[in-house]
Amino acid sequence: MQWVQLVVLGLLLGGVYAMMASGLTLLFGVMRVVNLAHAAFILLAAYLTYTLFENVAMDPMISLVVTMPLMFGLGVVLYLILFPRLEASPRYVEMTVLLTFGLALIVEGMLTFVFTGIFRSVRPVYSSTAINLGEIFMPTSQFYASTISFGLLIVLWAVLRFTKTGTAIRATMQNRSAAQIVGVNVRRVSAISFGIGMALAGAAGSLLSFMFPFFPARHWQWVAILLALIVLGGMGSIKGAVIGALLLAIASAFVTDLFGPTWSPITFYLTLFLILMLKPEGLFGAKVRL
Amino acid sequence: MPLLEVDNVVVGYGAGPDILTGLSLNIEEGTAYCIVGPNGAGKSTLLRCIAGFLPPRVGEVRLDGARMNGSRPDQMLAAGVCFVPQDASLFPGMTVKENLVMGGYLIDDRSLLQERLETVYETFPVLAERKSQHAGTLSGGEQQMVTLGRALMIEPRMVMIDEPSLGLAPMIADQIFEKITGFKDLGITVVLVEQNAVKGLETVDWGFVLDLGCLEFEGPADGILADPRIRDLYLGKAMTPREGA
Repeated sequence: MQWVQLVVLGLLLGGVYAMMASGLTLLFGVMRVVNLAHAAFILLAAYLTYTLFENVAMDPMISLVVTMPLMFGLGVVLYLILFPRLEASPRYVEMTVLLTFGLALIVEGMLTFVFTGIFRSVRPVYSSTAINLGEIFMPTSQFYASTISFGLLIVLWAVLRFTKTGTAIRATMQNRSAAQIVGVNVRRVSAISFGIGMALAGAAGSLLSFMFPFFPARHWQWVAILLALIVLGGMGSIKGAVIGALLLAIASAFVTDLFGPTWSPITFYLTLFLILMLKPEGLFGAKVRL
Repeated sequence: MPLLEVDNVVVGYGAGPDILTGLSLNIEEGTAYCIVGPNGAGKSTLLRCIAGFLPPRVGEVRLDGARMNGSRPDQMLAAGVCFVPQDASLFPGMTVKENLVMGGYLIDDRSLLQERLETVYETFPVLAERKSQHAGTLSGGEQQMVTLGRALMIEPRMVMIDEPSLGLAPMIADQIFEKITGFKDLGITVVLVEQNAVKGLETVDWGFVLDLGCLEFEGPADGILADPRIRDLYLGKAMTPREGA
Protein backbone atom coordinates (compact mmCIF):
# COMPACT_ATOMS: atom_id res chain seq x y z
CA MET A 1 0.00 0.00 0.00
CA GLN A 2 3.08 2.17 -0.13
CA TRP A 3 1.99 3.72 -3.42
CA VAL A 4 -1.40 4.81 -2.01
CA GLN A 5 0.44 6.66 0.71
CA LEU A 6 2.63 8.39 -1.86
CA VAL A 7 -0.35 9.37 -4.02
CA VAL A 8 -2.10 10.82 -0.97
CA LEU A 9 0.97 12.83 0.00
CA GLY A 10 1.30 14.01 -3.58
CA LEU A 11 -2.34 15.08 -3.75
CA LEU A 12 -2.03 16.99 -0.47
CA LEU A 13 0.88 19.05 -1.77
CA GLY A 14 -0.61 19.14 -5.26
CA GLY A 15 -3.76 20.87 -4.02
CA VAL A 16 -1.74 23.84 -2.80
CA TYR A 17 0.45 23.82 -5.91
CA ALA A 18 -2.69 23.75 -8.03
CA MET A 19 -4.04 26.88 -6.39
CA MET A 20 -0.73 28.73 -6.77
CA ALA A 21 -0.43 27.66 -10.38
CA SER A 22 -3.99 28.63 -11.31
CA GLY A 23 -3.36 32.19 -10.22
CA LEU A 24 -0.24 32.35 -12.38
CA THR A 25 -1.86 30.74 -15.42
CA LEU A 26 -4.94 32.96 -15.11
CA LEU A 27 -2.72 36.03 -15.38
CA PHE A 28 -0.95 34.58 -18.38
CA GLY A 29 -4.24 33.68 -20.04
CA VAL A 30 -5.80 37.10 -19.60
CA MET A 31 -2.80 39.39 -19.96
CA ARG A 32 -0.09 37.29 -21.66
CA VAL A 33 2.08 38.15 -18.67
CA VAL A 34 4.33 35.55 -17.03
CA ASN A 35 4.34 36.96 -13.54
CA LEU A 36 7.80 36.11 -12.23
CA ALA A 37 6.87 37.85 -8.98
CA HIS A 38 3.98 35.47 -8.27
CA ALA A 39 5.94 33.45 -5.71
CA ALA A 40 7.43 36.62 -4.21
CA PHE A 41 3.89 37.82 -3.53
CA ILE A 42 3.08 34.41 -2.03
CA LEU A 43 6.03 34.99 0.32
CA LEU A 44 4.82 38.49 1.10
CA ALA A 45 1.52 36.97 2.23
CA ALA A 46 3.39 34.30 4.19
CA TYR A 47 5.27 37.00 6.10
CA LEU A 48 2.04 38.89 6.68
CA THR A 49 0.56 35.69 8.10
CA TYR A 50 3.68 35.24 10.23
CA THR A 51 3.34 38.78 11.60
CA LEU A 52 -0.32 38.28 12.43
CA PHE A 53 0.46 34.96 14.12
CA GLU A 54 3.33 36.30 16.19
CA ASN A 55 1.67 39.54 17.24
CA VAL A 56 -2.03 38.84 17.60
CA ALA A 57 -1.88 35.02 17.57
CA MET A 58 -4.16 34.85 14.55
CA ASP A 59 -4.47 31.32 13.20
CA PRO A 60 -2.86 31.19 9.74
CA MET A 61 -6.01 29.67 8.24
CA ILE A 62 -8.08 32.53 9.66
CA SER A 63 -5.58 35.04 8.28
CA LEU A 64 -6.76 34.15 4.75
CA VAL A 65 -9.58 36.63 5.32
CA VAL A 66 -6.90 39.31 5.73
CA THR A 67 -4.34 38.25 3.14
CA MET A 68 -6.75 37.49 0.29
CA PRO A 69 -8.57 40.87 0.14
CA LEU A 70 -5.36 42.77 0.86
CA MET A 71 -3.53 41.01 -1.96
CA PHE A 72 -6.52 41.46 -4.27
CA GLY A 73 -6.40 45.20 -3.67
CA LEU A 74 -2.63 45.30 -4.08
CA GLY A 75 -2.99 43.42 -7.37
CA VAL A 76 -5.56 45.81 -8.80
CA VAL A 77 -3.51 48.86 -7.77
CA LEU A 78 -0.23 47.45 -9.08
CA TYR A 79 -1.90 46.53 -12.37
CA LEU A 80 -3.43 49.97 -12.85
CA ILE A 81 -0.20 51.78 -12.00
CA LEU A 82 2.27 49.60 -13.89
CA PHE A 83 0.71 47.76 -16.81
CA PRO A 84 -1.51 50.03 -18.95
CA ARG A 85 1.47 52.14 -20.03
CA LEU A 86 3.25 49.03 -21.31
CA GLU A 87 0.32 47.89 -23.41
CA ALA A 88 1.16 50.11 -26.35
CA SER A 89 4.77 48.93 -26.37
CA PRO A 90 5.77 46.73 -29.29
CA ARG A 91 7.95 44.82 -26.80
CA TYR A 92 5.10 44.22 -24.35
CA VAL A 93 6.05 40.64 -23.45
CA GLU A 94 9.73 41.42 -22.84
CA MET A 95 8.83 44.52 -20.84
CA THR A 96 6.44 42.61 -18.59
CA VAL A 97 9.08 39.94 -17.90
CA LEU A 98 11.50 42.66 -16.80
CA LEU A 99 8.79 44.41 -14.83
CA THR A 100 7.70 41.33 -12.88
CA PHE A 101 11.33 40.30 -12.36
CA GLY A 102 11.91 43.74 -10.87
CA LEU A 103 8.81 43.42 -8.69
CA ALA A 104 10.11 40.09 -7.37
CA LEU A 105 13.44 41.72 -6.46
CA ILE A 106 11.69 44.64 -4.75
CA VAL A 107 9.46 42.35 -2.67
CA GLU A 108 12.42 40.13 -1.77
CA GLY A 109 14.52 43.16 -0.81
CA MET A 110 11.83 44.63 1.38
CA LEU A 111 11.19 41.33 3.11
CA THR A 112 14.90 40.86 3.77
CA PHE A 113 15.09 44.41 5.14
CA VAL A 114 12.16 43.93 7.52
CA PHE A 115 12.46 40.27 8.48
CA THR A 116 16.18 39.55 7.74
CA GLY A 117 17.28 36.52 5.77
CA ILE A 118 16.79 33.85 8.44
CA PHE A 119 14.26 31.03 8.24
CA ARG A 120 10.81 31.74 9.65
CA SER A 121 7.87 29.48 10.13
CA VAL A 122 4.38 29.68 11.56
CA ARG A 123 3.78 26.97 14.13
CA PRO A 124 0.14 26.54 15.08
CA VAL A 125 -0.72 23.41 17.12
CA TYR A 126 -1.66 21.40 14.07
CA SER A 127 1.69 22.02 12.35
CA SER A 128 3.28 19.05 14.12
CA THR A 129 0.41 16.57 14.26
CA ALA A 130 -0.78 13.97 11.80
CA ILE A 131 -4.01 12.29 10.81
CA ASN A 132 -3.92 8.51 10.47
CA LEU A 133 -6.53 6.80 8.33
CA GLY A 134 -5.71 3.13 8.79
CA GLU A 135 -2.39 2.68 7.02
CA ILE A 136 -2.46 6.13 5.47
CA PHE A 137 -0.66 8.98 7.18
CA MET A 138 -1.41 12.65 6.48
CA PRO A 139 0.31 15.65 8.08
CA THR A 140 -2.56 17.70 9.54
CA SER A 141 -1.20 20.98 8.20
CA GLN A 142 -1.05 19.64 4.63
CA PHE A 143 -4.51 18.14 4.95
CA TYR A 144 -5.98 21.49 6.03
CA ALA A 145 -4.03 23.44 3.45
CA SER A 146 -5.03 21.28 0.51
CA THR A 147 -8.69 21.11 1.63
CA ILE A 148 -8.81 24.91 1.66
CA SER A 149 -6.99 25.04 -1.68
CA PHE A 150 -9.44 22.70 -3.36
CA GLY A 151 -12.29 24.72 -1.84
CA LEU A 152 -10.86 27.94 -3.28
CA LEU A 153 -10.34 26.28 -6.67
CA ILE A 154 -14.03 25.33 -6.73
CA VAL A 155 -14.94 28.93 -5.86
CA LEU A 156 -12.66 30.14 -8.67
CA TRP A 157 -14.27 27.72 -11.10
CA ALA A 158 -17.76 28.86 -10.09
CA VAL A 159 -16.84 32.54 -10.41
CA LEU A 160 -15.40 31.99 -13.88
CA ARG A 161 -18.32 29.83 -14.97
CA PHE A 162 -21.34 31.59 -13.56
CA THR A 163 -20.65 35.30 -13.10
CA LYS A 164 -20.69 37.96 -15.75
CA THR A 165 -17.17 39.07 -14.84
CA GLY A 166 -16.06 35.43 -14.97
CA THR A 167 -17.51 35.07 -18.44
CA ALA A 168 -15.65 38.21 -19.50
CA ILE A 169 -12.43 36.77 -18.07
CA ARG A 170 -12.88 33.49 -19.95
CA ALA A 171 -13.68 35.34 -23.16
CA THR A 172 -10.58 37.52 -22.78
CA MET A 173 -8.45 34.42 -22.20
CA GLN A 174 -9.73 32.83 -25.40
CA ASN A 175 -9.50 35.86 -27.65
CA ARG A 176 -8.61 39.27 -26.30
CA SER A 177 -9.57 41.30 -29.37
CA ALA A 178 -12.85 39.42 -29.83
CA ALA A 179 -13.65 40.20 -26.20
CA GLN A 180 -13.08 43.89 -26.91
CA ILE A 181 -15.30 43.67 -29.94
CA VAL A 182 -18.27 42.35 -27.98
CA GLY A 183 -17.88 45.16 -25.46
CA VAL A 184 -15.68 43.70 -22.73
CA ASN A 185 -13.57 46.38 -21.08
CA VAL A 186 -10.37 44.33 -21.18
CA ARG A 187 -8.46 46.73 -18.97
CA ARG A 188 -11.02 46.28 -16.21
CA VAL A 189 -10.99 42.52 -16.75
CA SER A 190 -7.18 42.50 -16.59
CA ALA A 191 -7.18 44.49 -13.35
CA ILE A 192 -9.71 42.11 -11.77
CA SER A 193 -7.78 39.07 -13.01
CA PHE A 194 -4.56 40.44 -11.58
CA GLY A 195 -6.45 40.94 -8.32
CA ILE A 196 -7.80 37.37 -8.37
CA GLY A 197 -4.35 35.95 -9.16
CA MET A 198 -2.88 37.94 -6.27
CA ALA A 199 -5.70 36.89 -3.91
CA LEU A 200 -4.87 33.27 -4.72
CA ALA A 201 -1.20 34.08 -4.07
CA GLY A 202 -2.30 35.57 -0.75
CA ALA A 203 -4.18 32.42 0.20
CA ALA A 204 -1.22 30.30 -0.87
CA GLY A 205 1.13 32.39 1.28
CA SER A 206 -1.03 31.93 4.36
CA LEU A 207 -1.21 28.18 3.77
CA LEU A 208 2.47 27.70 2.93
CA SER A 209 3.48 29.63 6.06
CA PHE A 210 2.65 26.64 8.27
CA MET A 211 3.70 23.94 5.80
CA PHE A 212 7.28 24.96 5.05
CA PRO A 213 9.88 27.19 6.69
CA PHE A 214 10.62 30.21 4.50
CA PHE A 215 13.15 32.99 3.95
CA PRO A 216 12.96 35.94 1.54
CA ALA A 217 14.89 34.39 -1.37
CA ARG A 218 12.85 31.17 -1.23
CA HIS A 219 10.44 32.43 -3.89
CA TRP A 220 12.86 31.76 -6.78
CA GLN A 221 12.61 28.05 -6.08
CA TRP A 222 8.83 28.21 -5.91
CA VAL A 223 8.33 30.25 -9.04
CA ALA A 224 10.48 27.76 -10.95
CA ILE A 225 8.24 24.93 -9.77
CA LEU A 226 5.12 26.94 -10.65
CA LEU A 227 6.43 27.60 -14.15
CA ALA A 228 6.97 23.86 -14.63
CA LEU A 229 3.39 23.21 -13.51
CA ILE A 230 1.75 25.69 -15.87
CA VAL A 231 3.94 24.75 -18.82
CA LEU A 232 3.00 21.10 -18.34
CA GLY A 233 -0.70 21.97 -18.20
CA GLY A 234 -0.51 24.43 -21.09
CA MET A 235 0.04 28.15 -20.46
CA GLY A 236 -3.25 29.90 -19.84
CA SER A 237 -5.29 26.78 -19.11
CA ILE A 238 -6.57 26.62 -15.53
CA LYS A 239 -7.70 23.04 -15.95
CA GLY A 240 -4.21 22.23 -17.24
CA ALA A 241 -2.54 23.99 -14.31
CA VAL A 242 -4.58 21.98 -11.79
CA ILE A 243 -3.95 18.65 -13.50
CA GLY A 244 -0.27 19.50 -14.09
CA ALA A 245 0.13 20.41 -10.42
CA LEU A 246 -1.46 17.20 -9.18
CA LEU A 247 0.52 15.02 -11.60
CA LEU A 248 3.86 16.60 -10.77
CA ALA A 249 3.26 16.65 -7.03
CA ILE A 250 2.48 12.94 -7.10
CA ALA A 251 5.51 12.29 -9.32
CA SER A 252 7.77 14.20 -6.95
CA ALA A 253 6.41 12.20 -3.99
CA PHE A 254 7.49 9.01 -5.79
CA VAL A 255 10.89 10.48 -6.70
CA THR A 256 11.41 11.50 -3.07
CA ASP A 257 10.55 8.00 -1.92
CA LEU A 258 12.83 6.29 -4.44
CA PHE A 259 15.86 8.59 -4.48
CA GLY A 260 15.49 10.83 -1.43
CA PRO A 261 14.16 14.38 -0.99
CA THR A 262 17.26 15.95 -2.60
CA TRP A 263 16.07 14.67 -5.96
CA SER A 264 12.47 15.87 -5.63
CA PRO A 265 12.95 19.29 -7.34
CA ILE A 266 14.46 17.63 -10.39
CA THR A 267 11.03 16.14 -11.16
CA PHE A 268 9.79 19.63 -11.99
CA TYR A 269 12.77 20.84 -13.99
CA LEU A 270 13.10 17.63 -15.93
CA THR A 271 9.41 17.76 -16.82
CA LEU A 272 9.78 21.38 -17.87
CA PHE A 273 12.60 20.50 -20.27
CA LEU A 274 10.83 17.45 -21.65
CA ILE A 275 7.55 19.26 -22.23
CA LEU A 276 9.27 22.18 -23.95
CA MET A 277 11.11 19.76 -26.20
CA LEU A 278 8.28 17.37 -26.99
CA LYS A 279 4.96 19.19 -26.61
CA PRO A 280 5.56 22.92 -26.08
CA GLU A 281 1.84 23.76 -25.98
CA GLY A 282 1.42 21.52 -22.90
CA LEU A 283 -1.39 19.11 -22.10
CA PHE A 284 -4.28 21.55 -22.50
CA GLY A 285 -2.67 24.50 -24.23
CA ALA A 286 -4.50 26.18 -27.06
CA LYS A 287 -3.58 24.77 -30.42
CA VAL A 288 -6.54 26.37 -32.19
CA ARG A 289 -5.87 30.00 -32.92
CA LEU A 290 -8.69 31.88 -34.54
CA MET B 1 -26.81 65.60 -39.31
CA PRO B 2 -24.80 62.55 -40.42
CA LEU B 3 -24.74 59.56 -38.10
CA LEU B 4 -20.97 59.55 -38.05
CA GLU B 5 -18.45 62.14 -39.13
CA VAL B 6 -14.76 61.47 -39.64
CA ASP B 7 -13.13 64.87 -39.66
CA ASN B 8 -9.57 65.36 -40.90
CA VAL B 9 -8.35 62.27 -39.06
CA VAL B 10 -4.67 61.28 -38.85
CA VAL B 11 -3.97 57.80 -37.43
CA GLY B 12 -1.01 55.45 -37.12
CA TYR B 13 0.13 52.46 -35.09
CA GLY B 14 2.44 52.85 -32.10
CA ALA B 15 5.29 55.18 -32.99
CA GLY B 16 4.90 54.30 -36.69
CA PRO B 17 4.10 56.59 -39.61
CA ASP B 18 0.66 58.07 -40.29
CA ILE B 19 -1.57 55.56 -42.07
CA LEU B 20 -4.51 57.91 -42.50
CA THR B 21 -3.27 61.35 -43.48
CA GLY B 22 -6.13 63.72 -42.84
CA LEU B 23 -9.18 61.77 -43.93
CA SER B 24 -12.72 63.14 -43.81
CA LEU B 25 -15.98 61.43 -44.66
CA ASN B 26 -19.60 61.33 -43.50
CA ILE B 27 -21.80 58.30 -42.85
CA GLU B 28 -25.55 58.84 -43.13
CA GLU B 29 -27.99 56.75 -41.11
CA GLY B 30 -29.56 53.81 -42.97
CA THR B 31 -27.19 53.87 -45.95
CA ALA B 32 -24.83 51.05 -46.92
CA TYR B 33 -21.26 52.01 -47.80
CA CYS B 34 -18.30 50.20 -49.24
CA ILE B 35 -14.74 51.41 -48.80
CA VAL B 36 -12.45 50.31 -51.60
CA GLY B 37 -8.86 51.06 -52.51
CA PRO B 38 -5.49 49.38 -52.97
CA ASN B 39 -3.66 47.49 -50.22
CA GLY B 40 -2.23 49.82 -47.61
CA ALA B 41 -4.70 52.60 -48.40
CA GLY B 42 -5.83 52.57 -44.77
CA LYS B 43 -9.26 50.93 -45.13
CA SER B 44 -8.96 48.61 -42.13
CA THR B 45 -7.17 51.28 -40.14
CA LEU B 46 -10.11 53.61 -40.66
CA LEU B 47 -12.52 51.01 -39.29
CA ARG B 48 -10.26 50.29 -36.32
CA CYS B 49 -10.04 54.00 -35.60
CA ILE B 50 -13.81 54.49 -35.69
CA ALA B 51 -14.31 51.40 -33.50
CA GLY B 52 -12.12 52.90 -30.79
CA PHE B 53 -9.11 50.60 -31.17
CA LEU B 54 -6.83 53.35 -32.44
CA PRO B 55 -7.14 56.91 -31.14
CA PRO B 56 -6.78 59.60 -33.83
CA ARG B 57 -3.52 61.57 -33.63
CA VAL B 58 -5.23 64.56 -35.19
CA GLY B 59 -8.85 65.26 -36.06
CA GLU B 60 -12.14 64.04 -34.69
CA VAL B 61 -14.58 61.18 -34.95
CA ARG B 62 -18.10 62.39 -34.17
CA LEU B 63 -21.19 60.29 -33.53
CA ASP B 64 -24.46 62.28 -33.70
CA GLY B 65 -22.26 65.35 -33.58
CA ALA B 66 -20.63 64.32 -30.29
CA ARG B 67 -16.85 63.96 -30.18
CA MET B 68 -15.87 60.31 -29.63
CA ASN B 69 -12.05 60.60 -29.58
CA GLY B 70 -10.55 58.43 -26.87
CA SER B 71 -13.65 56.25 -26.47
CA ARG B 72 -12.85 52.61 -25.79
CA PRO B 73 -14.20 49.85 -28.07
CA ASP B 74 -16.80 48.85 -25.47
CA GLN B 75 -17.99 52.46 -25.25
CA MET B 76 -18.31 52.74 -29.03
CA LEU B 77 -20.30 49.49 -29.05
CA ALA B 78 -22.56 50.77 -26.30
CA ALA B 79 -23.13 53.85 -28.49
CA GLY B 80 -24.27 51.55 -31.30
CA VAL B 81 -21.16 51.21 -33.42
CA CYS B 82 -20.30 47.55 -33.97
CA PHE B 83 -17.09 46.29 -35.58
CA VAL B 84 -16.64 42.93 -37.30
CA PRO B 85 -12.89 42.48 -37.90
CA GLN B 86 -11.51 40.43 -40.76
CA ASP B 87 -10.09 37.49 -38.82
CA ALA B 88 -13.49 36.04 -37.79
CA SER B 89 -12.51 36.69 -34.19
CA LEU B 90 -14.54 34.20 -32.22
CA PHE B 91 -14.09 32.43 -28.90
CA PRO B 92 -12.84 29.05 -30.13
CA GLY B 93 -13.49 27.21 -26.87
CA MET B 94 -17.12 28.35 -26.64
CA THR B 95 -20.09 26.95 -28.52
CA VAL B 96 -21.83 28.88 -31.28
CA LYS B 97 -24.61 29.75 -28.84
CA GLU B 98 -22.14 30.97 -26.20
CA ASN B 99 -20.41 33.08 -28.85
CA LEU B 100 -23.71 34.67 -29.81
CA VAL B 101 -24.59 35.29 -26.16
CA MET B 102 -21.18 36.98 -25.78
CA GLY B 103 -22.30 39.32 -28.57
CA GLY B 104 -24.97 40.50 -26.15
CA TYR B 105 -22.43 41.00 -23.36
CA LEU B 106 -23.58 44.59 -22.86
CA ILE B 107 -27.21 43.48 -22.41
CA ASP B 108 -28.14 42.65 -18.82
CA ASP B 109 -31.79 41.72 -19.48
CA ARG B 110 -31.88 37.94 -19.88
CA SER B 111 -35.26 37.73 -21.59
CA LEU B 112 -34.18 40.37 -24.11
CA LEU B 113 -31.02 38.38 -24.72
CA GLN B 114 -33.07 35.23 -25.37
CA GLU B 115 -35.34 37.18 -27.75
CA ARG B 116 -32.36 38.48 -29.73
CA LEU B 117 -30.89 34.99 -29.86
CA GLU B 118 -34.09 33.69 -31.45
CA THR B 119 -34.02 36.53 -33.99
CA VAL B 120 -30.43 35.72 -34.92
CA TYR B 121 -31.33 32.03 -35.34
CA GLU B 122 -34.16 33.07 -37.68
CA THR B 123 -31.83 35.23 -39.74
CA PHE B 124 -29.07 32.58 -39.74
CA PRO B 125 -30.76 29.15 -39.63
CA VAL B 126 -27.37 27.47 -40.02
CA LEU B 127 -26.34 28.86 -36.62
CA ALA B 128 -29.38 27.30 -34.97
CA GLU B 129 -28.30 23.94 -36.39
CA ARG B 130 -24.76 24.39 -35.12
CA LYS B 131 -25.54 26.06 -31.81
CA SER B 132 -23.93 23.40 -29.59
CA GLN B 133 -20.82 23.05 -31.73
CA HIS B 134 -17.54 24.68 -30.65
CA ALA B 135 -16.81 27.73 -32.78
CA GLY B 136 -13.24 26.53 -33.38
CA THR B 137 -14.53 23.54 -35.33
CA LEU B 138 -16.66 25.50 -37.83
CA SER B 139 -15.78 26.14 -41.46
CA GLY B 140 -14.61 29.59 -42.50
CA GLY B 141 -17.99 30.58 -43.91
CA GLU B 142 -19.83 29.40 -40.82
CA GLN B 143 -17.41 31.30 -38.59
CA GLN B 144 -18.11 34.44 -40.60
CA MET B 145 -21.85 33.80 -40.12
CA VAL B 146 -21.27 33.61 -36.36
CA THR B 147 -19.45 36.96 -36.32
CA LEU B 148 -22.27 38.56 -38.33
CA GLY B 149 -24.92 36.96 -36.12
CA ARG B 150 -23.03 38.04 -33.04
CA ALA B 151 -23.02 41.62 -34.32
CA LEU B 152 -26.83 41.53 -34.55
CA MET B 153 -27.18 40.59 -30.88
CA ILE B 154 -26.93 44.18 -29.66
CA GLU B 155 -29.03 45.58 -32.54
CA PRO B 156 -26.38 48.13 -33.44
CA ARG B 157 -27.09 51.35 -35.34
CA MET B 158 -24.07 50.82 -37.50
CA VAL B 159 -21.99 47.76 -38.41
CA MET B 160 -18.50 48.00 -39.85
CA ILE B 161 -17.44 44.79 -41.58
CA ASP B 162 -13.82 44.25 -42.58
CA GLU B 163 -13.19 41.89 -45.53
CA PRO B 164 -16.06 39.47 -44.91
CA SER B 165 -15.29 37.38 -47.99
CA LEU B 166 -11.58 36.90 -47.22
CA GLY B 167 -10.55 33.30 -47.83
CA LEU B 168 -14.06 32.11 -48.65
CA ALA B 169 -15.19 30.21 -51.72
CA PRO B 170 -17.17 32.47 -54.11
CA MET B 171 -20.45 30.67 -53.42
CA ILE B 172 -20.04 31.03 -49.65
CA ALA B 173 -18.99 34.66 -50.09
CA ASP B 174 -22.23 35.29 -52.01
CA GLN B 175 -24.22 33.99 -49.03
CA ILE B 176 -22.31 36.34 -46.74
CA PHE B 177 -23.03 39.34 -49.01
CA GLU B 178 -26.69 38.35 -49.04
CA LYS B 179 -26.75 38.50 -45.22
CA ILE B 180 -25.05 41.89 -45.31
CA THR B 181 -27.76 43.18 -47.64
CA GLY B 182 -30.18 41.87 -45.01
CA PHE B 183 -28.54 44.14 -42.40
CA LYS B 184 -29.48 47.14 -44.48
CA ASP B 185 -33.09 45.96 -44.67
CA LEU B 186 -33.12 45.89 -40.84
CA GLY B 187 -32.34 49.61 -40.91
CA ILE B 188 -28.72 49.14 -39.84
CA THR B 189 -26.11 51.41 -41.40
CA VAL B 190 -23.47 49.25 -43.05
CA VAL B 191 -19.85 50.15 -43.71
CA LEU B 192 -18.06 47.47 -45.65
CA VAL B 193 -14.39 47.12 -46.49
CA GLU B 194 -13.97 44.63 -49.30
CA GLN B 195 -11.04 43.41 -51.35
CA ASN B 196 -13.43 42.19 -54.02
CA ALA B 197 -14.40 45.78 -54.84
CA VAL B 198 -16.93 44.94 -57.54
CA LYS B 199 -18.82 42.54 -55.32
CA GLY B 200 -18.64 44.96 -52.41
CA LEU B 201 -19.90 47.93 -54.40
CA GLU B 202 -22.73 45.85 -55.86
CA THR B 203 -23.90 45.18 -52.31
CA VAL B 204 -24.07 48.83 -51.17
CA ASP B 205 -25.44 52.28 -52.08
CA TRP B 206 -22.41 54.49 -51.81
CA GLY B 207 -18.70 54.00 -52.34
CA PHE B 208 -15.61 55.56 -50.85
CA VAL B 209 -12.33 55.20 -52.72
CA LEU B 210 -9.31 55.46 -50.42
CA ASP B 211 -5.72 55.81 -51.49
CA LEU B 212 -2.60 56.59 -49.45
CA GLY B 213 -4.61 57.41 -46.35
CA CYS B 214 -6.88 59.94 -48.01
CA LEU B 215 -10.37 59.91 -49.46
CA GLU B 216 -9.71 59.98 -53.20
CA PHE B 217 -13.26 59.88 -54.46
CA GLU B 218 -16.80 59.17 -53.32
CA GLY B 219 -20.06 58.64 -55.11
CA PRO B 220 -23.00 56.32 -55.73
CA ALA B 221 -21.77 52.74 -55.90
CA ASP B 222 -23.22 52.05 -59.36
CA GLY B 223 -21.59 55.25 -60.63
CA ILE B 224 -18.18 54.11 -59.38
CA LEU B 225 -18.68 50.70 -60.98
CA ALA B 226 -19.58 52.36 -64.26
CA ASP B 227 -16.63 54.78 -64.26
CA PRO B 228 -13.88 53.16 -66.35
CA ARG B 229 -11.22 55.52 -64.99
CA ILE B 230 -11.83 54.52 -61.35
CA ARG B 231 -12.24 50.89 -62.29
CA ASP B 232 -8.87 50.99 -63.97
CA LEU B 233 -7.11 52.80 -61.15
CA TYR B 234 -8.57 51.21 -58.08
CA LEU B 235 -10.78 48.23 -58.72
CA GLY B 236 -8.23 46.01 -60.38
CA LYS B 237 -7.65 45.70 -64.06
CA ALA B 238 -8.44 42.00 -64.14
CA MET B 239 -12.12 42.82 -63.79
CA THR B 240 -12.08 45.45 -66.51
CA PRO B 241 -12.21 43.98 -69.98
CA ARG B 242 -10.25 46.48 -72.05
CA GLU B 243 -10.92 47.32 -75.65
CA GLY B 244 -8.99 45.05 -77.96
CA ALA B 245 -8.10 42.64 -75.18
